[in-house]
Amino acid sequence: MAASIADVRSALSIPGHVTPNRLQQVKKQPSQSVKKPEGISRELYSLIGPSAPSLAAQLAKPRLKQKPNLGGGGKVKWEWRNFKNGARSDSLELGHWVKASVDPDSEYPFAKYNVQPTNYIWSPDEYARHLEDPEWTQEETEYLFNLVQEYDMRWFVIFDRYEYPRGEKEAGRAIEDLKERYFSVCRKLIRNRTWADENLKTHLQNLMQYDKDREQMRKRYLTSLDNRTPDQLQEEEALFIEIKRLEQNERKFKREREELLRIIAGIEAGLPDIADEDASVSLSLDPKRRKKGMDFEIPATPILTAPVMKKPQSYKNAAHDAQHCIIRNEPSGTTPATKAAHTPSYMRSYKLPVPKAAIAPRVTQILAELGIQHNRLVMPTKDNCALLESLLETTTALVETRKVVDKADYEIKVLKSQLEVRENEDEGDGTASVGEIDDSDVFETQKNGRGESIGSTRSTRNRKLCRRSMSTSSVDTSVTLPVRAVKRQKRA
Amino acid sequence: MVTYGGDEVSALVLDIGTSSVRAGYAGDDSPKAIIPTQYGFIPPSSDQDVDMGDNSDSTEKPKGARSFIGEAGPSLFRPGMQIGNPMSDTLIQDFGPIPALVRHVLQDSMRVNPSEHPILVTEPAWNTPENRERMAEIMFEEFQVPAFYIANTGVLNTFAAGKGSALVVDVGQSVASVIPVVDGFVLRKGVAYSNLPKLVAAHARHILLGNNIDLIPHQLIASKTPVEPNMPPQYAVREDKIPGVTDSWRQWYEDRAVEEWTQNMGGILEQGWNDQLAIQRPARQYEFPTGFNTFFGPDRFHVGELFFFHKPNLVASNSSLPRHIPALISDSLRACDIELRQVLMGNVVVTGGGTLFSGFTDRLHNELVRSFPHVKIHAPGNPVERRYGAWLGGSILASLGTFHQLWISKEEWMEHGKGIVAQRCK
Repeated sequence: MAASIADVRSALSIPGHVTPNRLQQVKKQPSQSVKKPEGISRELYSLIGPSAPSLAAQLAKPRLKQKPNLGGGGKVKWEWRNFKNGARSDSLELGHWVKASVDPDSEYPFAKYNVQPTNYIWSPDEYARHLEDPEWTQEETEYLFNLVQEYDMRWFVIFDRYEYPRGEKEAGRAIEDLKERYFSVCRKLIRNRTWADENLKTHLQNLMQYDKDREQMRKRYLTSLDNRTPDQLQEEEALFIEIKRLEQNERKFKREREELLRIIAGIEAGLPDIADEDASVSLSLDPKRRKKGMDFEIPATPILTAPVMKKPQSYKNAAHDAQHCIIRNEPSGTTPATKAAHTPSYMRSYKLPVPKAAIAPRVTQILAELGIQHNRLVMPTKDNCALLESLLETTTALVETRKVVDKADYEIKVLKSQLEVRENEDEGDGTASVGEIDDSDVFETQKNGRGESIGSTRSTRNRKLCRRSMSTSSVDTSVTLPVRAVKRQKRA
Repeated sequence: MVTYGGDEVSALVLDIGTSSVRAGYAGDDSPKAIIPTQYGFIPPSSDQDVDMGDNSDSTEKPKGARSFIGEAGPSLFRPGMQIGNPMSDTLIQDFGPIPALVRHVLQDSMRVNPSEHPILVTEPAWNTPENRERMAEIMFEEFQVPAFYIANTGVLNTFAAGKGSALVVDVGQSVASVIPVVDGFVLRKGVAYSNLPKLVAAHARHILLGNNIDLIPHQLIASKTPVEPNMPPQYAVREDKIPGVTDSWRQWYEDRAVEEWTQNMGGILEQGWNDQLAIQRPARQYEFPTGFNTFFGPDRFHVGELFFFHKPNLVASNSSLPRHIPALISDSLRACDIELRQVLMGNVVVTGGGTLFSGFTDRLHNELVRSFPHVKIHAPGNPVERRYGAWLGGSILASLGTFHQLWISKEEWMEHGKGIVAQRCK
């Protein structure tokens, strides 16, 4: 851009910032010439300048592949030096080879591994106040503590080397006795001393916990495990295989059932309890844990309770629901809570009420007259769904009522025409026909009653019709029923 | 180097066994010098002037006798020479020749000056406190070593196998032992050992003598002609040497002949004793120094079988029969805490030249797996490692940087005296 401006200036012959530009270029020159590409002689380069860089690669001499430099360059000087070990209390000087670069006054690198465990010592007064034990003398306790210190709490070794002279009648001490004495003394000492840091105190006390009875029980279990005869072992093995087989069958069965449920009921969500049962069964029967003898230390309950899935906590709280706009549909209490009754989640609009198949066309027709499409709601909210449902219900009732009314009208017409015929013929035997009408009338009445109960029709015209038909039919029945009864008695 | 925890201070490792003395630098993988523990000596009463070989060593015995130590010591025939062994049941019973042996192996074989190197010596698990103190005394007083340590062979074998806890099954020339090691310490209550290899050697000798085989060494044979198998040997004896043969030398060479035969012929049936299987195994030919040669069939396996099983009639006839290896192992385990069984049986270390019988490890595994399903045996395949496991463990231990605080220095020895040994070397 700058160049183009300069061009414009020169073209327009405007004197301006030409001089500083030139100076900069002059300054840059020497720094570029420093980078002389290899393979071009100095004279040639000074002639052609930096304008032929593409040639440089071809001009470079071919060379062999560079040897890798693995040593990091240069030789390392080693020297034989005597050293003193900081972990030693005497003045022994041993010699070893070290790099000459290492500081001769530096500490011996392995001295830091000489870590001594903390030793607990007590005053006679302290012993008298806290540590008295009828089973132990102070001397023996001190002997034990020295051994523990000497063998760094390796209890098996301590027990092996424990040779405190005791009375003939006293039995030798078991490893648990030694451990219990040591830990109890430590606990008491920690408890009765003042500590700057309470956390450290509780931490140390936790470290010193020891339950002799528990340990002895554990050892007895181990012994009984170890003393199993080959027959028992074999039986155990057979039982274990049997359990595995059963478990496998169970799992297979469950898998198949789940598959079926998925196909039939469309349950996509997992069935949590199936996984649960598997987990708890396999945990409780894991033989390796049993054989290792470790499980006696681990309490059994947490393992078994841990994998049980937590059911989503039900907030039955009405206030909570209102706050979060949650509306609960109570599941029907009658159906048992089995897999078969499981209802997957669904959209509300999927479950819109459908009119009865027999009268569906007429309902649709009526709704169409009103300009409503009953099988699709633009906004299927809960209220809208309820409204649609009641609308469909009333429409159905209306259709039914109208059907009844039509029928009644027709009956009345027929009866009137019959009456006219009879009046014309004057006298005649009409009992049979009356009976027939009777029957149909009873039927009508019942139907009417039902219609009344179901529907609360809104159109006044319908109501009027209804009333009329009711009155007629009731009159009819009241008249005809006794007649019929008399007739039947006569026949009998 | 620091990452491996090693720091070599040019320490020496000395492992004195019943059959051989091993010495070398700590940090090496095999001993530099191996010489037999047996030595020849001619009592001063003998007035014969003997010309010693170039490579034989002569040092003054306390009695004023001439002694012959090293490879050419006992094996070279010298009239009137007797054979002595300072070791008996892996313990040093006679400290008299020990300085000479040590001097030979360090100064004449390795050509080092002991006063310049710390030295680590091995001891068996059942070593007595007097013995180890005496050893320390010899090292400090006679060899002026700057530092000394005495370590247990069981522990060292464990270290050689790269473990901290193990059940070490060690079959040497005179003693078979089972040593439980936990966290680098021997559980003394669990140590079990018996003279089983001696029983095996006696049985082998019995087999050979039962076949009317002369155990005359090659040193005493002037000439022999090849013969067909099972034909009587044709050889001429060096009659001039016969008067100079002493009883102890005769015993030594007969033992050696038996040992050689056992090493070459002895085998163990992996699946336990079975007459059919023993017969099915191919017989092997063996030629004795006399030229007599024959084939050995099931006899070969009778020898090895003694390591694992004793016939009831043998037990009945001999009440003090040394315990066989499965018995030693079960005795050892019974003395240990029940919690340790799993650890120990998972780390069985087989070591010692006596375990080099073909089929030994397989048989041991088969025996153990019956009662301990999780048994795991560590047996080095390299014969040098197997025979000198204790030396190798010493080599590892003495080249560790963290070990150097454990040396008993000369200063400490002067200051505390003998008590320091028991205090430091636990």
